[in-house]
Amino acid sequence: MLDGILAGLSTAVMPTNLMMVMVGCFVGTFIGMLPGLGPISAIALMIPITYGLDPSSGMILMAGVYYGAIFGGSTSSILINAPGCSSTVVTAFDGYPMAKKGQAGKALALAAYSSFTGGTLSAIMLLIAAPALAKVSLSFQSSDYFALMLVGLSAVAAFAGKGQVLKAWMMTILGLMLSTVGIDKGIGVERFTFGLTDLMDGFSFLLLAMATFALGEILFSILKPEPDTSAEESSALSDIGSMKVTKEEIKEVAPVAIRSSFLGFFVGVLPGAGATIAAFLSYGLERNLAPKDKRDEFGKGSIRGLVAPEAANNAASSGSFVPLLTLGIPGSGTTAIMLGALISYGIQPGPRLFVDNPEIFWSVIISMYFGNVVLMVLNLPLIPYISKLLAVPRTVLLPMIIFFSITGVYLVSFNTVDVFIMILVAVIAIFLRLATFPLAPLLLGFILGGLMEENLRRSLMISDGELSFLWDRPITLTFTVISALVLIAPILLTAFNRRRAKRALFVDDCD
Amino acid sequence: MQSTPTSLLSRDRVSGLIFLLVCLIYGYQATQIQLFPGDEYEAFTARTLPYLLTAAGIVMSLLLIVMSPAAPCNESACENESRLDWRLLSAFVLLMAAYGLGLTWLGFVLATSLFLLGGFWLLGERRKAVLLGASFPFVTLFWLLLTKVLDIYLEPGYLFLSL
Repeated sequence: MLDGILAGLSTAVMPTNLMMVMVGCFVGTFIGMLPGLGPISAIALMIPITYGLDPSSGMILMAGVYYGAIFGGSTSSILINAPGCSSTVVTAFDGYPMAKKGQAGKALALAAYSSFTGGTLSAIMLLIAAPALAKVSLSFQSSDYFALMLVGLSAVAAFAGKGQVLKAWMMTILGLMLSTVGIDKGIGVERFTFGLTDLMDGFSFLLLAMATFALGEILFSILKPEPDTSAEESSALSDIGSMKVTKEEIKEVAPVAIRSSFLGFFVGVLPGAGATIAAFLSYGLERNLAPKDKRDEFGKGSIRGLVAPEAANNAASSGSFVPLLTLGIPGSGTTAIMLGALISYGIQPGPRLFVDNPEIFWSVIISMYFGNVVLMVLNLPLIPYISKLLAVPRTVLLPMIIFFSITGVYLVSFNTVDVFIMILVAVIAIFLRLATFPLAPLLLGFILGGLMEENLRRSLMISDGELSFLWDRPITLTFTVISALVLIAPILLTAFNRRRAKRALFVDDCD
Repeated sequence: MQSTPTSLLSRDRVSGLIFLLVCLIYGYQATQIQLFPGDEYEAFTARTLPYLLTAAGIVMSLLLIVMSPAAPCNESACENESRLDWRLLSAFVLLMAAYGLGLTWLGFVLATSLFLLGGFWLLGERRKAVLLGASFPFVTLFWLLLTKVLDIYLEPGYLFLSL
């Protein structure tokens, strides 16, 4: 393990990779500050750039962008109450009231320090948990992998927003369906190609990710224009007040940051749960744990209420890398994109990554920590300057982002047919968004589809076509039971809630 | 208690119906996948996963159709719809399609510059300095970066090749 850590460290400290972390954090912060664009769009925009880099540098750049985008989202949450992504919604609960009181500088500094704490503690936990899990998963067989993928896919659907569980499942199935297009890798026959040579290789991951999350997001913001907050954000940043945090305040929030980091990390490890749930849970926990007088401050500018979600969402972001790097199962849309990118580089994440490419495994983990340092040391003081970039009017920014999305795909394939397919997919994505279908499960299904089919094929061949492979091995059985529970629970809950609502209505009517 | 009028075809139900149709087409196409002799005795063929997905997709879409409540006919939903700028989106989709064609015919520099110019214009930018300054010079610099620094070959476009 020490050899691996040293190999990772030597890769991570290479000047190119250090620059990647800095550029990633900087670009991510900028994109994250833009309303409507979150980490997933930021990473999608980076994929074409990473194609020209070696896998370690590519992953390091994407990890930097991920952290930067979350940090940028927190900044806009605090300053103008406009979270860039769902995981920073809770930050606005107390961050914005603090900014309104003239303590924006302090709020930004506290957010950065707590993110740093979350990042540091989670990096240590990642250092311990990832290799241990990778070692355990080396004993996994194809049936275990198939069942594990079922857990991943069903969990992502289960953690979808209220009333979206069924839709998330449908999107997962659609993603799996899309993954079957092209020449079947196991048998070699064409499937759903309609005789078109462009479809022989199946849909391009890059095209799908860029169309749904980069181009789709921007086109959606053109369809449903939100108020242009860049000027407001820019002016809010011009006078943020002092960034000083007193000793008493640090004493007060230190236990909060530590507790939230642990909670965030473990929530992040769960497939599908992610940074948003971690932020909400830690906020709720700290509110309950706070003494009476401090509890009343929550929602009115409490420093505990700001530190808890910031530490938790950062720790959860690191935690979500555990299933990605050790099992090859992404727990969120963002890590799904990273998995797709890794597969495109020809690297299969999972237990073999730890054995075959330890330098990638460890350099990503170490760079994630560097990302935290960069965010605190460089980005925090640079915030007022980054905000100057936000002064670029929306009328110029949106066509530029569309241009980067289209060019990103075009420069990889040099095929204009891809541009047309991309436009079509983006338009379909807009309709899906309007009908409140979540898009992350689609991408997850698409990315895991090939692997899932391969493992199902092997399992069925080994078990001679019997479904008993799902319960023959204890590990497989455990995963099967978990996925069955995760699948059934939302349906039962919905039915139960509906029944209760009906009963309440009946009682009302009787009144 | 006065009940709100409802429509049977809510957005969710329509979505469910469309998804059902997609699943049926997918399922039909799955039956057309070529099988090799002896495949009928195999535990897993190229059709197995598509069949499973078709079945799961049909169940899900039927669940959505059955479980989603009828849409209330209220004005707020219509108001939300009217806030959507379909005209601008359509214009952008056309502009992007034209850009796709332009890449082949006009080449990267001209097509991209015109695309950016059109995009700025559509979003309401009217300042000549921005319209021209952020398109042609920016794209030329970007083109220089791609071709001279990163050594990426970009075709000049049919129009210039025929000259």
